[in-house]
Amino acid sequence: MLQFVARRLVEAAVVVFLALTAVFALQFLAGDPVKLFLPTDTTPKQIEEFRTRLGLNDPWLVQYVRFMSNALRGSFGDSLRQRESALLLVLERFPATLALSGVAMVLALATAIPVGVVSAARRNSWFDHVGITTTVLGQAIPGFWLGLMLIYVFSVWLHWLPTGGRGSWLHFIMPSVTLAAFVAARFARLTRAMMLDVLDQDYIRTARAKGLAPPRVLYKHALKNASLPIVTLLALQLGQLLGGAVIVETIFAWPGVGRFLVQALLNRDFPVVLVGVFLTAVLYSVLNLLADLTYAWLNPRIRYG
Amino acid sequence: MIALLLSGAGAISPPLNAQERPLVIALGAEPRSLLAMHIVDWTTNVQALNIYDRLYYWDGMPPRIKPSLAAELPQTPDDRTWIIKLRPGVKFSNGDPFTADDVKFTIEWLLDPKNKTHYLPRFSFVDSVEAVDPLTVRIRTKEPAPVLRYYLVDFDVLDAKYVRAVGNDQANRQPIGAGPYKLVRWDRDERLVLEANPTYWNKPPAIKTVEFRFIPDFSARLAALLAGEADIVKDVPPFAVDQVNRSGSVEVRGVPSSRINYVALVNFKPGPLQDRRVRQALNYAVNVDELITNLFKGRATRIPGALSGLNEDVNQNLKPYPYDPARAVQLIKEAGYDPARLEFTMDSPSGRYPLDKEAAEAIASYLGRIGIKVRIQVNEWGTHLDKIVNRRTGEMFYLGWGPALEAQGTIAELFRPDRTYSGFGTPAVTDEVNKAIPIVDRAKRLAAWSRVQVMLYTEAPWIFLWQQHDLYGVNKRLTWQPHPAEKIYLWDAAWTR
Repeated sequence: MLQFVARRLVEAAVVVFLALTAVFALQFLAGDPVKLFLPTDTTPKQIEEFRTRLGLNDPWLVQYVRFMSNALRGSFGDSLRQRESALLLVLERFPATLALSGVAMVLALATAIPVGVVSAARRNSWFDHVGITTTVLGQAIPGFWLGLMLIYVFSVWLHWLPTGGRGSWLHFIMPSVTLAAFVAARFARLTRAMMLDVLDQDYIRTARAKGLAPPRVLYKHALKNASLPIVTLLALQLGQLLGGAVIVETIFAWPGVGRFLVQALLNRDFPVVLVGVFLTAVLYSVLNLLADLTYAWLNPRIRYG
Repeated sequence: MIALLLSGAGAISPPLNAQERPLVIALGAEPRSLLAMHIVDWTTNVQALNIYDRLYYWDGMPPRIKPSLAAELPQTPDDRTWIIKLRPGVKFSNGDPFTADDVKFTIEWLLDPKNKTHYLPRFSFVDSVEAVDPLTVRIRTKEPAPVLRYYLVDFDVLDAKYVRAVGNDQANRQPIGAGPYKLVRWDRDERLVLEANPTYWNKPPAIKTVEFRFIPDFSARLAALLAGEADIVKDVPPFAVDQVNRSGSVEVRGVPSSRINYVALVNFKPGPLQDRRVRQALNYAVNVDELITNLFKGRATRIPGALSGLNEDVNQNLKPYPYDPARAVQLIKEAGYDPARLEFTMDSPSGRYPLDKEAAEAIASYLGRIGIKVRIQVNEWGTHLDKIVNRRTGEMFYLGWGPALEAQGTIAELFRPDRTYSGFGTPAVTDEVNKAIPIVDRAKRLAAWSRVQVMLYTEAPWIFLWQQHDLYGVNKRLTWQPHPAEKIYLWDAAWTR
């Protein structure tokens, strides 16, 4: 087991390293950040001085080595735009994103899994049909559109909910619903498919034949066996949620990481972008590691795989 | 989407006690810094300018320079000496008295490379600053620098004693100024809350609490306005104006801005645009008035030359190029080209200026009518700037410039080939511009800039377009008027009823 974890950790380190290298390479394609930050009457000479001070005039290999060694020490430099530590700027926005993603994930699972289970158990019933249609819609509707529609209906028209920002639990409703819609559809469809698979198995028939109550068969016997792929998807979707947070946080003015990183990207604020990629890669790797460990717990055969 | 948002509008906010109701301004981003004279950025400056006070500001319509922390307009006993008398009895929001030492400190602070201010290049001609007495500042410049007159406008003053004591970081987090408001709270990426500064020297602001709320998405900002959560939102699209006005509780207030929009005709590379006649022809070929009427619904003001009508140095005698496609064809033929075989690429941003992409496309289609093929290349804003700076645009690019209320900031920056955002230059123009820059005498200076404007009119380095109108969505119950230089001054804002 220990060896399994160690191997996964090494893999995670490689992933983070590669992600950082890719972003480092991409910043050369993205154009010069310097002019975006200086006022319009800056002379070319002053621009050059600024570039030199930032080390942007060094050969790329020098820049790469400096960047990697800084990254190893957790030092990513200051935001070009805000002139404060890029790492702190990103970190102080993480709690907001985690809170929103957490609520959205709970909401998504709490609706998607029951819908998937009942749809499978009552295959081809009206519930199943409605469920399937809704999930197709959920997958097809773009997040920004859903978000703006919610704002229109519940804020502008009905005046029930705030258009955005953070404050009370009311502020959580629309962003977390929008974000949950992002992933709930996929969970519901996967749960249904896996349950259909499992419900055909012999041990379910046996359980039923023993006279166990149908809900017990469904949740205790069938769902536990169907849950393996759901756990995998959960880990992947947590990453997806961070992607969805970019849109949701922008529309609902949620002070999180996603919105901050998009603004940084548009402003060519590379130190901030690099921190964002670094932390996202780390987070992704950790989530995948957790998924693997959960897997191993759910299905002991995997430990030796 | 926006239309949908608008159709359901009709927000009614509960009546609060007159001026106690907080004023909420929705902006796209938080400030990049709250130190005065640090960063040049509209969103940043519009928040800081209510915390700090300035030596001079642009007042009225057309805007003219008026003293604020200064007591009177600066005196220039000789070409390189500037005397500024300061207003007595002014205090910063922490009670520190405002004196000549604060002005001296602020200039020296922004000139110190350690502080990494955007203002350093602007003031690099400053030789020395002295506090002659507590209410008199004397600035000496290395060379005659009449443009200092304009750089002292919007010159926000730091509290020297405070910044020296706490350092830049703390002074940024907890700024102290002599403005109408002082900082209460700054929640990162959420809001900046200000309250009336009790030590403010001028009439105390009527509204006691002001909140800047950061909403990055434009549609969401508009929704916040319509839902009654925000009271001022900038840049309502022209096509949405009628709908906003119909919504009930909010209305659009517009002002002709001192920001101009133009299509630069790049003459840095060999090709037809080297020829003045071709550049003039492009001005004759575009029906700018029709564009303003149809596309902008009248919400743009035509400019005949390189400066807006609000500019102190504008030459009032220039008349816009008339729409005359026949003359355009004739000029191109005289230059030795066949319009049907001319092909250009025009770079345009999208959403940076009012209807920029749409205007670029319309201009291309006017040119198409006389046979010229124009390919529009739409760029993300950062890429667009990058292409202009590195001279990688097509033969034309669309750009806005301003706020500009004096000539040098526009003409010296955009029509000399070594300047960052320039797309045009000829030795004769450069020469005339260089002659105008050091002239201190107001009348002679105006005459020199007038001559340059006539030259530029003939040279046609741009397709001259318009001043954009800034359109703000505003709560109807708020007494407040937009400013032509894009300031959101709140000292005289008030709630009606």
